[in-house]
Amino acid sequence: MATDMTYKQSVDIAIGNPKLSKALHLFGDAYLIARENAFRGLNFEEMRTELAAIKDEVRVRRKELLADFIKNAEAAGSKVFIAKDTKEANEYVIRLAKEKKATLIAKSKSMVSEEAHLNKALAEHGIRAAETDLGEWIIQLAGQRPSHMVMPAIHMFKEEVSELFSKEAGKHLPAEIKALVDHARERLRKEYFNADIGLTGANFLIAETGGIGLVTNEGNARLCATLPKVHVVFAGIHKLVRNIEDAIKITQLLPRNATGQLLTSYVTWIRGGVSADGGQKEQHIVLIDGGREALYESKACQDALRCIQCGACANVCPVYQTVGGHVFGSIYISAIGIILTAFYEGLDKAKEITRACIGCRSCVAVCPAKIDLEEIILHLRNEVTKIYGMGAIKNVAFKAVMKNRSLFHSMVRAASKLQRPVTEKNADDPGRRIIRHLPLHFMSRDYTEWRNLPAIAEKPFRDQFDSIVQKVDKPICRVGFFVGCGADFVYPEVGVSLTKVLNSFNVEAVFPKTQNCCGIPALYAGDTETGEFLAKQNVEAFTEAQVDYILCICPTCTMAVKRDFVNRLADQPQWAAKAVALSLKTMDASAFLENVLGASAKMRAVRSVKEITYHDSCHLKRGSNVWTEPRALLESSGHRIAEMKNSDRCCGFGGTYSFLSHPQISKQITRDKVETIQATGVKTVATDCPGCMIMLKGAVGKADPTIRCVHTMELLAETLEQK
Amino acid sequence: MTDNRVERFIESAKRVGATVEKTENLEEAVKYIADKAKGTTLVPVTPLVIRYGLKALLQNAGVEVLNKQFRDGGQFPGAGVTFSNFAMADTGTVVLESTDENIRLATTLPERHFIIVDPATILVDNLAAAAPMNALHEGNAPKFIAYITGPSRTADIERVLTIGCHGPRELYILLVENISSDLMEN
Ligand code: SF4
Ligand code: SF4
Repeated sequence: MATDMTYKQSVDIAIGNPKLSKALHLFGDAYLIARENAFRGLNFEEMRTELAAIKDEVRVRRKELLADFIKNAEAAGSKVFIAKDTKEANEYVIRLAKEKKATLIAKSKSMVSEEAHLNKALAEHGIRAAETDLGEWIIQLAGQRPSHMVMPAIHMFKEEVSELFSKEAGKHLPAEIKALVDHARERLRKEYFNADIGLTGANFLIAETGGIGLVTNEGNARLCATLPKVHVVFAGIHKLVRNIEDAIKITQLLPRNATGQLLTSYVTWIRGGVSADGGQKEQHIVLIDGGREALYESKACQDALRCIQCGACANVCPVYQTVGGHVFGSIYISAIGIILTAFYEGLDKAKEITRACIGCRSCVAVCPAKIDLEEIILHLRNEVTKIYGMGAIKNVAFKAVMKNRSLFHSMVRAASKLQRPVTEKNADDPGRRIIRHLPLHFMSRDYTEWRNLPAIAEKPFRDQFDSIVQKVDKPICRVGFFVGCGADFVYPEVGVSLTKVLNSFNVEAVFPKTQNCCGIPALYAGDTETGEFLAKQNVEAFTEAQVDYILCICPTCTMAVKRDFVNRLADQPQWAAKAVALSLKTMDASAFLENVLGASAKMRAVRSVKEITYHDSCHLKRGSNVWTEPRALLESSGHRIAEMKNSDRCCGFGGTYSFLSHPQISKQITRDKVETIQATGVKTVATDCPGCMIMLKGAVGKADPTIRCVHTMELLAETLEQK
Repeated sequence: MTDNRVERFIESAKRVGATVEKTENLEEAVKYIADKAKGTTLVPVTPLVIRYGLKALLQNAGVEVLNKQFRDGGQFPGAGVTFSNFAMADTGTVVLESTDENIRLATTLPERHFIIVDPATILVDNLAAAAPMNALHEGNAPKFIAYITGPSRTADIERVLTIGCHGPRELYILLVENISSDLMEN
């Protein structure tokens, strides 16, 4: 395994502390409800598209806008300093403090100052930084770093806070939240009055006015900017916006998406040196590059600078909820943290966390800046692999085996035989064997104690297809079936079901034999070279087949054919056009049945009602925006859906993630899913993804063998058979 | 007003924990304040405070008014009283041009903040505020503009919403008609 011990240990420690994970789960659930209420009546999609456009224009015009900002801020009496890195920024503040003979700086929240380790730098020069944001103060007293961008002390409990405050105050303070907040109010008030300098961050830097904006709740930033005679603004250069209207648009998204508030208690707009104690305040604006220019210049990653630091990508992330921000991040945490860590602290620092993302795309769905975080993380993972390699197991599996289609396929067939002595009858699914111990060349031992693992099918779908008799008479269209490894080698019955369903609508299925793995497992592991090789192999197979549509029954494969093949081959003209042509014809089977054939309307005759629950696969819902379609199909074919809680939360599969890189995290995420399924009381769970099936059949099977886990296509085929 | 923005403003402001009162006239508002304000009450001198003689009105009603050298009014003065520039119905926000330090001190330090709003200055939403915000930023003089939406709050300990962190614990919005429909003054 590529992970080093300290990182692995931190994961284990986090998992060994279920109290934190439980709190983060409760928070995640409450967050989703609050957020939904906050956006009621508004069009989130439109708003975030607009925000992305604003930020993109700022990126393009950043030099000009920065010059405008500086000119206008200086006209209002501010001093602006551009620091190329955090070191220069710290030095500026230290120099200023010395000039002012300052010994105390009252600080409100500034993530960049965390990035710069400003407090430590100040302390080395005998200058004390007093954090005044409640969460930041708690963290400062504990000598830790924030574990969330909006709620820095989210990982702490009131008992710990009471201990910290009591120690600082030299008297006992009860572990009661209201009392603790009151204590902070009183204790920190002194700091504003005594401080020589007040330091704040900035949520936006407005080019047209030369002013800054602060979006806060507690009111400490206003005090920091008011009481001390010098105001230092410490911010990243990417906070630029063109004008007040842009800033207002950010304030419409930021609080709603961060905490479910329509607006924070305070939005404060400050330009220049305002009056202070009979005189005029000095305002110094320190704008820090610190890797941002490089990020702006990176085509693959630049969208990350659209970030408005709402923290939502953490709130919804199953990995974050399982291990917390101290493990899944550095200064910045969770999805955006992975990217910023790579650019601000170096790829080396980000190497483990790029692999810790399970790829569920929940973060992408909630990001108000419309950043495709998952795609950027994937890109960085590839960079990490290029530089640091990917570990011996994956190398063998992906490079040597995957590229050679027939070797790969015969190896899987061999595995099906190899596993025989170690499989046992599965109570849930007679006739189907499950692996107790895995074929060595695929997975490692020890990860089977919490779930059953599927056996490799005796006869893969590719070897069954020719013997399926297709009952179609002058078919209305011919569809190419991209089966994907999961259905091909583990659940070939899903492929058989799809063929039946298609035939019943007079559609003929074609199976190009030279198709291979979609390449996503290789790509997710950071092996671009193999990914590209496989893309070509598949593009060739399906171009030759000359079909009307290409259908997948695995949402990850759908994404691969629709999005990734095109990206992977974009630079090679002879391949690019073919990849685009295929992409346009490709869709998930449910989407095809519902949106192209109108199947649910045609199936309405079915009466018998069976109760089921439905699990949304990450890549189907957030990768292809398909989630109403399978529901419509299932309901019209005689199923009543008892929705589980958080039906679109990841099941913990993530391909090799759950087997090789992070089985411990995976296990926790899966346990959540199993609990929500069990809570419905329903005995059938349908999904549209063979990957999810591997995870759910395995884990649900262990927890309750009477619960059946099936692909939507199987249920549809069963209904059609009964008819 | 056809779009019932006053009602929407009241509803939004209440939802975030502000107390909103419609009062008949300024005298009634002053009576309300005198009833609730305890201890030193900071009343910064602004054009509207002068025009309406707010300081004298409050003093006559028995309020302990301080209107200069607010830094000497203690670290936790009892109350602050101000007018406002305008408000926004969608979020229940009151906007106060606070470039003068006394306005800032009177609205950040006290336990309670009373803010008088003319309903004619309530804008339909945050986007509608772009024009007056731009107007306030004309020229290049230093500026400090505060949006205030409910009392100060935090959720930094165990994500439990707690009111009154570093700013006023209580926010009273008093709606008084015919004060000033000029969004540029307070
Ligand atoms: S894709 Fe899923 S696991 Fe990865 S960072 Fe986003 S939310 Fe977390
Ligand atoms: S990346 Fe998006 S979701 Fe995450 S903090 Fe930034 S804006 Fe919010």
